[in-house]
Amino acid sequence: MLNKKYIKFLFLLLLTYKKKHLSVFVISTVIVAVLTSTLFISSAIQKDIYITLDGQADFTIQRYKAGKVLNTPESWIDEFLDIDGVSQVQGRIYGMHFYEPAETYFMIVGVDLFDQEVSANLKKLINGIDIDKFLARDNMIIGSDVKKFFDEYQYKGSYSFRPPDRSIKKVYIYDTFPKDSNIVSSDMIIMDKDLARKILGVEDGYVTDIVLEVPNPKEREMVRQKLIISHFNARIIQKKDIKRYYKNLFNYKGGVFLTLYIIVLITFLLILYQRYSLISQNDSKEIALLRSMGWRIDSVIYLKVAENFFVAFGAYLSGVIIAYIYVFFLDAPLLKNIFLGYTNLAHDVSFTPNINNTDLGIIFLVFIIPFLVAIIIPAWQKATIEPTEIMR
Amino acid sequence: MIEIKSLNKKFKNYQALKDINLHIDGGEFVILNGISGSGKTTLLSIIGAIMKPTSGAVEVSGENIVSLSDFHASNYRSTMVGFVTQSFHLFDELSVEDNLFVPLVITNLSDDEVATRIEDAMSVANISHKAQQKTKNLSGGEKQRTVIARALVNKPQIILCDEPTANLDLDNSLKFIEIIKRLKEMKKTIVVATHDPLFSKLSCVDRVINIKEGSLE
Ligand SMILES: Nc1ncnc2c1ncn2[C@@H]1O[C@H](COP(=O)(O)OP(=O)(O)OP(=O)(O)O)[C@@H](O)[C@H]1O
Ligand SMILES: [Mg+2]
Repeated sequence: MLNKKYIKFLFLLLLTYKKKHLSVFVISTVIVAVLTSTLFISSAIQKDIYITLDGQADFTIQRYKAGKVLNTPESWIDEFLDIDGVSQVQGRIYGMHFYEPAETYFMIVGVDLFDQEVSANLKKLINGIDIDKFLARDNMIIGSDVKKFFDEYQYKGSYSFRPPDRSIKKVYIYDTFPKDSNIVSSDMIIMDKDLARKILGVEDGYVTDIVLEVPNPKEREMVRQKLIISHFNARIIQKKDIKRYYKNLFNYKGGVFLTLYIIVLITFLLILYQRYSLISQNDSKEIALLRSMGWRIDSVIYLKVAENFFVAFGAYLSGVIIAYIYVFFLDAPLLKNIFLGYTNLAHDVSFTPNINNTDLGIIFLVFIIPFLVAIIIPAWQKATIEPTEIMR
Repeated sequence: MIEIKSLNKKFKNYQALKDINLHIDGGEFVILNGISGSGKTTLLSIIGAIMKPTSGAVEVSGENIVSLSDFHASNYRSTMVGFVTQSFHLFDELSVEDNLFVPLVITNLSDDEVATRIEDAMSVANISHKAQQKTKNLSGGEKQRTVIARALVNKPQIILCDEPTANLDLDNSLKFIEIIKRLKEMKKTIVVATHDPLFSKLSCVDRVINIKEGSLE
C-alpha cells in the first residue's frame, strides 16, 4: 500500500491543507515541549543531587538542645572511633553567612587541606589547588552564585566578613567553582578550617557537627543504636534518609507535574477527537468522497493515520528540540524555580544534559498513540458508513 | 450488462424504491426521468454501490454487487463505474489534474499511465485548459466537467450521471450533451437521471425510463 502514488498524494494533502494542521501542530509542540522540559530538568537535578549525596558521609551527628542545633564537642570524635565498624570520624566546621546586600545566605565550609580524609565531594572541588599558596593568606573558593552576588556589589578580589566577635576579617577570592560543577556548590564558600571557625564563631573544642563512615551496610543499624545510646541529645542523620528526602521531594514535584500534563494531554486529545468526529465536516466529506471513488476502508484510514502521524511526529520532534534548548541552553527560566525551590539562592544553576531515552520513548508513546487513536476512531466511523449518508 | 431484480429501499418508514425490475444493455444510453423525490438518486447510488438496498439484487456482468465485501465493492466502484454526482464533490484546494489523480492513487498504474489517463479524461471532458487551476476557482460548468473527467479517469464501463444539467445554464448543458455523445460513441453504458426536457429530444438516447414515487412505469 505504501506505493509512490500514495506518498505523493499524502504530501499533496499535507502541503495543500497545512493551515488545517497548524493549530494542532502548535498545541502539540507546546505540550510535548513542556512535558519534556520537566523530565529533562528533573533527571538533570536528580543526577546532580545523587552524585553529590553519594560523596557524603554515611552518618552525620549533631548535638541539639530544646530543638536547637548546638555546636558539638570535639571530644565525641574519639568516643565514636571506639564504636565497632566506624571509620573516618571527622569534625566539620560550616555554617550560614547572611549576605546583607542581597538578603541571602551563603554556606561557609571549613576544610582541613592537609587531612587525607576530606570528604569525596570537597576533594573533587578543591582538587588541584596549590595548598601552600592557598594558605599563604586568608583565601576562599566561591560558588558561582556567590560570585554573582559579590560582583553585583563590586566585591572584586576580596570580601570582608564580620565574625560574631565584631572584628572584620578580609578574605581574598582565590578561585570560583565552575558553574557546571554541581547544584549544591553554587552557594558555597570554601576556606581553611581555622579561618571558617573564626568567621562562624565556633569556639575551640567544638565543631559544627561530626561525620563518620560505616563501610559495611549491615553494621549501620547497630552503629545507629549505639550512637543514640551514647548521647541522648544527639541527632543522627543517615545518608539514606537524605536520599529518601530528596527522592520524595522530586517524586512529589514530578508527580504533580505529570498529573497536570496528563490532564492537559487528555483534554487536548478529547478536543482532537471532537474535532475529527463532530466539527470537521470537511474531513467527513473527504472520506466519503474517497470511499465513493473506490478507496477501501483500510486505505482511507491508512491515509488519515499517515497524514496525522506526520503532524504528531513533527510536533514531537520540535517539542523535544525546544525543550532541549530551553533546559540546557537557556537553563529553564521559570520551571527551574519550581523545581529548585528548596535552596536559598536565586538558583544560578546550569543543567548538564542527562537525557534518558526511556523517558523520551515514554513521551513518544504516551503522546503519539492516543493522538492517532483519537483520529483513527472517527475516521473509521466515517469510512464504514455509506458515503451517501455524508454526501447528501 | 445491468440486471436489477426486485429492488427495494426503505429509509426508516419511507419506501423510496418499490420492487424495481430493470435490464440495461451494455452500451445503452438510458434516461431515468422523474420528478424531485421520485427516487432517482437512490437508484443510481445503489447501482454505483455507494448505498445498499433493503432487498433485491443488482447484477453487473452476472455478479450481484449488492452482497460484495468492502474489498470487492471498492474495486467495483474504482474500476467499473464512474459516478457524476448531483452536487460537485471535489477537493476544493486541489487543482483539476490533482482531483483526477485521487481515484488513481489506489491503482497499480505507472506514472506514465497515470499521466496519460488524466490527459485523456480531461480532453474528453473538455477541461484540459484548466488543468492547473484549483477547483474552487472554477465556474459551475467547469466544476461539473471536472467531475465528469474524474468519473472517466479509471475507464469505467458504466457512467452514472445524477441531474447533470440541474446547475448548468443552457450553454453548459449543451456542452455536457456533447460529452455524453462522445461517451456513447465509446460504447459506454450510460444512465442519466434527470427531469431536464433537453434530453428527451436527443437522438442518441436509446430509452427513457420513467420513475414515480419509487416505482418504474
Ligand atoms: N438517507 C435518507 N433518509 C431518509 N429519506 C431519504 C434518504 N435519502 C432519500 N430519502 C428520501 O427518499 C426519497 C427519494 O429520494 P431521492 O434522493 O432518490 O430522490 P430524487 O429523485 O433524486 O430527487 P431530486 O430530483 O430532488 O434529487 C425522497 O423522498 C427522500 O426524501
Ligand atoms: Mg436526486
